[in-house]
Amino acid sequence: MVSETQTATLTRPQIHVQNAVKSFNGRVVVKIDDLVLGDQPIEGLIGPNGAGKTTLMRMIMHSTSLDTGTISFRNESVGDVVLSDLPTHWMAPHGVVKSNQVIMDFDKLTILDSMLLSVSQAKYEHPHRIFDEKTVYNSSIEHIHEYMEFFELGDPYRFAGSAGEKKLLDIIRCLLLQPRFLLLDEPTAGLPEEVTSKVVEIVRELATAGTAIVIVEHDLNVIWNLCDEVHFMAEGSVVLHGSPEEIRQHKTVVEKYLGEGHV
Amino acid sequence: MNLDWLHAFLISGLFSVVVIVGLGLLLHLQLGLTRIANFGVVGFFGIGMYSFGVLFTKVDWPFGDLWAFLISLAFGTLVAGIAGLLIGWLIADLDEDGVLVGTLGFATAVFILATTEQDLTGGALGLGGLKFPYDIGSVKANEFLWLVIVSIVVALILLYVQRIHRTPYGRLLIAIGANEPLARSLGKATFRNKIWLFAVGSAGMGLIGALFGVMKRFLSPESLGIDVTLAAMVALVIGGTARVWGAVVGGFLVIGFFDIVVQSYLPLPKEWYGQAIPNLKQIVFGGVLIMVLLFRPLGILGDMRRDKLMRRVHGE
Repeated sequence: MVSETQTATLTRPQIHVQNAVKSFNGRVVVKIDDLVLGDQPIEGLIGPNGAGKTTLMRMIMHSTSLDTGTISFRNESVGDVVLSDLPTHWMAPHGVVKSNQVIMDFDKLTILDSMLLSVSQAKYEHPHRIFDEKTVYNSSIEHIHEYMEFFELGDPYRFAGSAGEKKLLDIIRCLLLQPRFLLLDEPTAGLPEEVTSKVVEIVRELATAGTAIVIVEHDLNVIWNLCDEVHFMAEGSVVLHGSPEEIRQHKTVVEKYLGEGHV
Repeated sequence: MNLDWLHAFLISGLFSVVVIVGLGLLLHLQLGLTRIANFGVVGFFGIGMYSFGVLFTKVDWPFGDLWAFLISLAFGTLVAGIAGLLIGWLIADLDEDGVLVGTLGFATAVFILATTEQDLTGGALGLGGLKFPYDIGSVKANEFLWLVIVSIVVALILLYVQRIHRTPYGRLLIAIGANEPLARSLGKATFRNKIWLFAVGSAGMGLIGALFGVMKRFLSPESLGIDVTLAAMVALVIGGTARVWGAVVGGFLVIGFFDIVVQSYLPLPKEWYGQAIPNLKQIVFGGVLIMVLLFRPLGILGDMRRDKLMRRVHGE
């Protein structure tokens, strides 16, 4: 299910956050001096509500602007790219992709439509390109079918029904973009258990093939099982890094923020 | 050609229907798919009409009428398209209220310019000198042929719109209309696509305006009132904003009913024709619009059915 371009890469791409500050109405929400994401294949980002995890993700995608600082993408094939200077829609073409925390869907598009939209290249999307549906369909339908079958989605010519299905569709849309750096914002929230395990399986597969993955997740079991490194965020900054074991040893910190029984 | 069977009012009535259907189809791309509520339809229509008219009548063309006509037509379309690009650029990131006010303001500006720029447009007196690019005999025959030509143009627009629904581009437009931030996160240049769509739609409206001007043979700011925008909007909403055939169904029902049935076949007192009927028409348009929005907001044809359409397109 993972494409050849992804397996061909040896070094993993990284995202480098430098002196990044974001405040809303004078209240500093994120303040990160220096953070490198992507050292390890799968990294987790945890912390209490309001720690700034989602805001940081949005800053990386430049769907929210930075007050100061830069966020850059280091990648062997294209070199360094300063993401914080680029508009949001340039992230996906560079291979930086994020799934959404809240449920996001195109209500009028079917499941297949949604996937075809994701894979369709910009050159086919012009007012004068009126005979290109077959080209886009034929070039991507095998890839789409693999996901359809893997996640047992059934009939593709229908609308995503439940919240869980929409959430899953959101993740599949991201996967179809063939990300080089994938940010997952609470990917398993609202998903049934068997789907969660399939998502985890795909994430592992992608990571093996060379994609860097960062997961924000409240379900700490997913984090402890999946991640090679964990960043612990509190009050807008990353206060702890380390392997899952190391983070769990910092009982005082973690318990303070996450409560007993989560460690 | 013997056209005795055809009443003159039927030609002009059908012509109004065809023009409104054409505008409604283009509005469907903007409003129905991309959710840009363009309330300045008549502005682009008017810019196309006047750019065409001014160039055609004011320039001393060195070559034949037909070429002068076609070049002027292309010019009118182009100017409307450029206006669409500029207005689109201004409004593309505004919310719905901003788009409404912006486009409405633009249409008003066009109306005022047409009235005040007397050297170019003839002001309130109007601009004469337009004619059909052919002459096949009587006025009636010429008008009938023009109705046929414009119907073909509108039919081509219908085919184009129908194709758009079956392309990756149409899918992108629907996606932008349904959830723009999500489309952007998938790498889609939503802003650029919105202004280009707006420009293409506006160019088409300009073309229809120019074709309309030819039929009138006399351009005056009177034909740039809000009623043109309203008619296209009402026709589209009643037929079904999200459906290709919405503008066609709505156009024939609403405009056809008023401009043909009421004005010609109902035994109404003669003195009503000057003031009462046009006013009555506005009132009923408004009333019908309210009823449709209350009881069937998606129009007669209802919502788009991507599930059925895509199954057909992909041959499954």
